[in-house]
Amino acid sequence: MISRPISEGFRGVARHWAMSISSIIAVTTTLIIISLFLIFSYHMQLFTKSVESSMQIYAGVDYDYEDDEDRIRAEIEALDEVKTVKYYTKDEEYEFFLSQYDDEQTREVFSPYKEDNPLHDAFYVEAKDGKQIQDLSKKIGNIEGIYMTNYGGQSTVNMVSAMSKIRRFGGFLVIFLGLLAIFLIQNTIKLTIYARQDEIAIMRNVGATNSFIRAPFVMEGIITGTLGALVPIALTIYGYYYVYEKTGGVLISNMFRLVRPNPFVLYLAGILLAIGVLVGLIGSFMSVTRYLRWKR
Amino acid sequence: MIECSHVYKRYKNGTNALYDLNFSVDQGEFVYIIGPTGSGKSTLIKLLDAEETPTKGDVRVVGLDVGNLKNRQVPIYRRNIGVVFQDYRLLPTKTVFENVAYALEVINMNKKQIRKRVNEVLEVVSLNEKGNSFPHELSGGQQQRVAIARAIANRPKVLIADEPTGNLDPSKSDEIMKLLQKINTEYGTTILMVTHDLTIVNRHRKRTVVLQRGHIIADLPEGGYVQHDQ
Repeated sequence: MISRPISEGFRGVARHWAMSISSIIAVTTTLIIISLFLIFSYHMQLFTKSVESSMQIYAGVDYDYEDDEDRIRAEIEALDEVKTVKYYTKDEEYEFFLSQYDDEQTREVFSPYKEDNPLHDAFYVEAKDGKQIQDLSKKIGNIEGIYMTNYGGQSTVNMVSAMSKIRRFGGFLVIFLGLLAIFLIQNTIKLTIYARQDEIAIMRNVGATNSFIRAPFVMEGIITGTLGALVPIALTIYGYYYVYEKTGGVLISNMFRLVRPNPFVLYLAGILLAIGVLVGLIGSFMSVTRYLRWKR
Repeated sequence: MIECSHVYKRYKNGTNALYDLNFSVDQGEFVYIIGPTGSGKSTLIKLLDAEETPTKGDVRVVGLDVGNLKNRQVPIYRRNIGVVFQDYRLLPTKTVFENVAYALEVINMNKKQIRKRVNEVLEVVSLNEKGNSFPHELSGGQQQRVAIARAIANRPKVLIADEPTGNLDPSKSDEIMKLLQKINTEYGTTILMVTHDLTIVNRHRKRTVVLQRGHIIADLPEGGYVQHDQ
């Protein structure tokens, strides 16, 4: 008796093909939009996160405290906001400084400083949250033996808060669009079932129980949702692979990279299918139930 | 089979449809309910079909207290009676065969038995060649015969017919009447038929109950109603 709703569901979709197609198109268009926004906002999240995490605090060690590396490191790591700490000696700092210049001539100019190195041993500290960078910098500056800290100043702080706003906005947009899509699909399904309320009334006349009437309709909703998700899934997979290959995964600059398509696209496909099926199921269930309640 | 005692029906909008209705129908009887528009015929059908509940009084069909059924008991009750409507009420996207089969799927009959029974009743209404047609491909009289086949498919003791000939021309109406009489005599099905077609009532004489403004104004065991006014 489980097979009846399924076969009836398929038959229903086929027999009411005009209405089925309109529902399927509604599902398809909204899912394509959702897919685009999912991709966009996910990358926005990644991008802002990577920008944030690339920001770090420079903390130079006073010449008199060069032997205190372990103590200072321990004190920095003891701070709550700290994510990672890296330590470079002043010789490493010198090498890094030189590596920024390509031509031998300039390097030559700085060579006397190799022996009498004016640079400091330094800690590079990343904060767990970009917003904490200002506070953390101040705290590190208060540690004995740190002669100065630098985190890029107010502009860095502004950028971090802008990034988190962008991220939150992206999140809201996706949720809002998702709800809108669900509402749209549900409405279309409601209309197609509305057109069939006479059928529902007839079924009741013949002595069908509510669940007997409901099951094939719900199955139809699931089928409609699944069929509607097929095109968006295909477009997402092929489209994403296409863009990824065309751009080599890099957009604008190295900062803005596309995620590797392999698991990402499959997750997206799963999400789209789940939305299609769930909305079809819930939408048809609620619509049929409403008409059943009116009739005795 | 059918028993109404002191039945009143007053709709929420204040319309009084039935007053103190008392009548009973025995098993195997064929009864006409006649009366002008607004006399309460449709309300009576709705009470018997459990679509509405009486404001006061008892409605009993096949021994069940129809007026006090819970909503979820209504479908179960309807399997005991067959109902035929003026507008046929066939499922438009199902074939003739599937329409009749639906009434049997509802009671969980197995596929093989359904096939057998559907063919049987389509034979009764002489439509066994139209099984794969859709309702819109049939004439009105044929559609009504499908509806009758569906109504008798699970062998109900009572068949309620609400203006079954209302949309049909006289010759088709006669066909339907002959079919109903055949069901009445061959299977012993109790038939309650609401109509305002006096030609039929006078040609096929049966017990006739006359309704007017919600009252029974006559119950003629021999039938043959003569309209006095007009």
